[in-house]
Amino acid sequence: MKSLRVTLGVLLTLCLVLGAGAALAADTIKITAQQPITGRFAFAGKHIHQGLADSIAWANEQGGVDGVKFEYIYEDSGYDLKRAVASFKKMMAKYNPAMDYGESTGQGKALAPEINSRYHVLYGSTSFSQELADRAQNPYMFVSGPTYAQQFGILIKYIAANPKTKGKKPTVAFFYSDTAFGRDPIPYAREMAKKLGVEVVAEEVTAVGAVDITSQLLDLKRHNPDYCIFQGYVVPPIPSIIRGAKDFGLKTTFMGTFWTMSKMLLDKLGADGEGYMGVMPYAYWYHTDVPMIKVIQDFNKRHHPDVKYRPNSYMQGWFTGMVFVKLAKMCKAKGLAITGSNLKDMIPQVKDWDTQGFAGMVSFKHSNATAVGKVYVGKGGKFMPASDWIYLD
Amino acid sequence: MRMGDFKQTYAADEAVFRSGTVRFWLVVLFLAIAAFPFMVGPYLLYMANLTGVAIIAAVGLNILTGAAGQISLGHAAFVGIGAYTSAILTTKLGLPFLLCLPLSGLSAAFFGVIVGAPSMRMKGLYLCIATLAAQVIFDFIFVHWTSVTGGIRGINVPSAELFGYKLDTEFKLYFVTIPIMIAAVTAARNLFRTRVGRAFIAIRDRDISAELMGINLFQYKLYAFAASSFYAGVAGCLQVYLLRIVTPEHFPLHESIRYLAMIIVGGLGSVLGSIFGAIFMTMVPEALQSGLALFQGLDDKLMSYLFPLQTVVFGLLIVVFLVFEPHGLAEMWRRVKNYFRLWPFEH
Repeated sequence: MKSLRVTLGVLLTLCLVLGAGAALAADTIKITAQQPITGRFAFAGKHIHQGLADSIAWANEQGGVDGVKFEYIYEDSGYDLKRAVASFKKMMAKYNPAMDYGESTGQGKALAPEINSRYHVLYGSTSFSQELADRAQNPYMFVSGPTYAQQFGILIKYIAANPKTKGKKPTVAFFYSDTAFGRDPIPYAREMAKKLGVEVVAEEVTAVGAVDITSQLLDLKRHNPDYCIFQGYVVPPIPSIIRGAKDFGLKTTFMGTFWTMSKMLLDKLGADGEGYMGVMPYAYWYHTDVPMIKVIQDFNKRHHPDVKYRPNSYMQGWFTGMVFVKLAKMCKAKGLAITGSNLKDMIPQVKDWDTQGFAGMVSFKHSNATAVGKVYVGKGGKFMPASDWIYLD
Repeated sequence: MRMGDFKQTYAADEAVFRSGTVRFWLVVLFLAIAAFPFMVGPYLLYMANLTGVAIIAAVGLNILTGAAGQISLGHAAFVGIGAYTSAILTTKLGLPFLLCLPLSGLSAAFFGVIVGAPSMRMKGLYLCIATLAAQVIFDFIFVHWTSVTGGIRGINVPSAELFGYKLDTEFKLYFVTIPIMIAAVTAARNLFRTRVGRAFIAIRDRDISAELMGINLFQYKLYAFAASSFYAGVAGCLQVYLLRIVTPEHFPLHESIRYLAMIIVGGLGSVLGSIFGAIFMTMVPEALQSGLALFQGLDDKLMSYLFPLQTVVFGLLIVVFLVFEPHGLAEMWRRVKNYFRLWPFEH
């Protein structure tokens, strides 16, 4: 009898403890994510996932939002729209999160109507697409940095301020792939160039994974632009273009946007990487004078001691985490519940947010994108700042 | 154990559902299908819809490849044609869903006939490459005919409406997708019992003999292409209303191969096989994913190895199934059924 009572007692205590545990667990701010950890986009997806996970873990170390912790729940979506949408719906039903992170531009576009009408969840993603930063159409979505168009804007602003020959209109060529990713910013870039007095002398378009770029190179040689901006590539065919241009004796400065500003590309370029430029919304791993980079390095030292480098895609994840946390804190400060619709209302109110040198002073002014970036230049296998933070709005 | 099940007429022998037992379980199945949406959440309903669409497309491909023996590597392109047709008709002409559905099927069937035309002179692997060309060409058109297809950005589609009733949730769509799927499956099952269906099978088994028996090979091959593409088109239309967006990225070559895998894993030439194959190819990756979710929170490094492993396990499963049962899941199902038919008196 006694042993039965003891057993019952133990069971009851266990139930209470576990129940309390469950109750505690319920009191978190849930962030769900469909991450492209496998599939075509895995090269970046796995780092983005790690960056977001670490950023949130770091925020929790700092005490979360007034002691309420964040909970990061993710699934691999394999860069497959159907799977990503399935995973999104599953996680919405299971966790009812206030924030979600999506794997692709396509996922954002597919879910936009339902997020507006049904799910009401704050939505960040791997995408830098202009469409997703349109506040009027997609108030719940934000872009973790400047959109591709804004990145082009930043580069053109830099070019306008740094003409190669004084008193002469700088010339630029756009070199892009025939994909949504490649074409996204081009119309805006043309407009911006016209406005800032930069002449677009050539536009070279290649198929995805193009190997033979001779005709584009010859055309580039004919126009001999001061600058040439790549869009819609990750690595190839950029090394062969830069090498080819050098062989032709062109003095063109080549530039890239976020995905072509990686260590992966710079390593491939080798000696040709000297002087390669481009825009990045964040600081790099080795810019140890940036306070937030110090935080990131310190966090990695403690949690991932064998890590020697974190690429720019990791920084994208980290920054998205910072935005999630910032918006949640703003909600809390205003005494609002942390829900998707309240979080969305906070986006336009982010003004001159000090990211500790990581992404400049961030404001979501006219769109749900930051419209700020820095121009970097390749020096000795590293990207070093070539400008201060350039603001578009 | 089933007893007293004797057939006394040819008609009874040819019936699709041959015994009371079968009919009983069929009623149970229909009741389960009808009750399903009331018991599960949006995620499983979404998966059910996705599976329904995959079944329609797979059954279509099975008509062409499984029954008529014409291997097609362009099935995803026909799904794409259906999808684009309905997206364009809805957004540009404002046609209602009920009209878009058959029109998507018909437009896919029309292009199917054109693509099937080389089958007059080619067969086997050669025809397979011709259909591959169709896949590439349509893919190119989806991407580059920007004024109509919206190019790479694709077309956003409003939710379907049926008699003034908005089909904007998975729950509502379920009651459209699943009945259409059942109708499509029933039609396909009956097709194989008609002259046309028998002709398909004759062509697959030996085209010269079929021709000697008076079957016009070209005509019937085109029928097979038309029927198969019609199914694909209908599946494409339903997929558009499910995903609410269509872009060229949804219909790549590997999607065509996925449909082929469905019918091979399920069982070539069998309608039931297409159903099993579609369920297998849609649900198994999800099941693996859910299995993996149990490990979440464990070591990051371990997870980085486990994620790619999903794909490997999925591939292995397909290989293992085919090694142990080359005739697919449908054959496995038949054997299990036969075992229980005499159970517990096996001999």
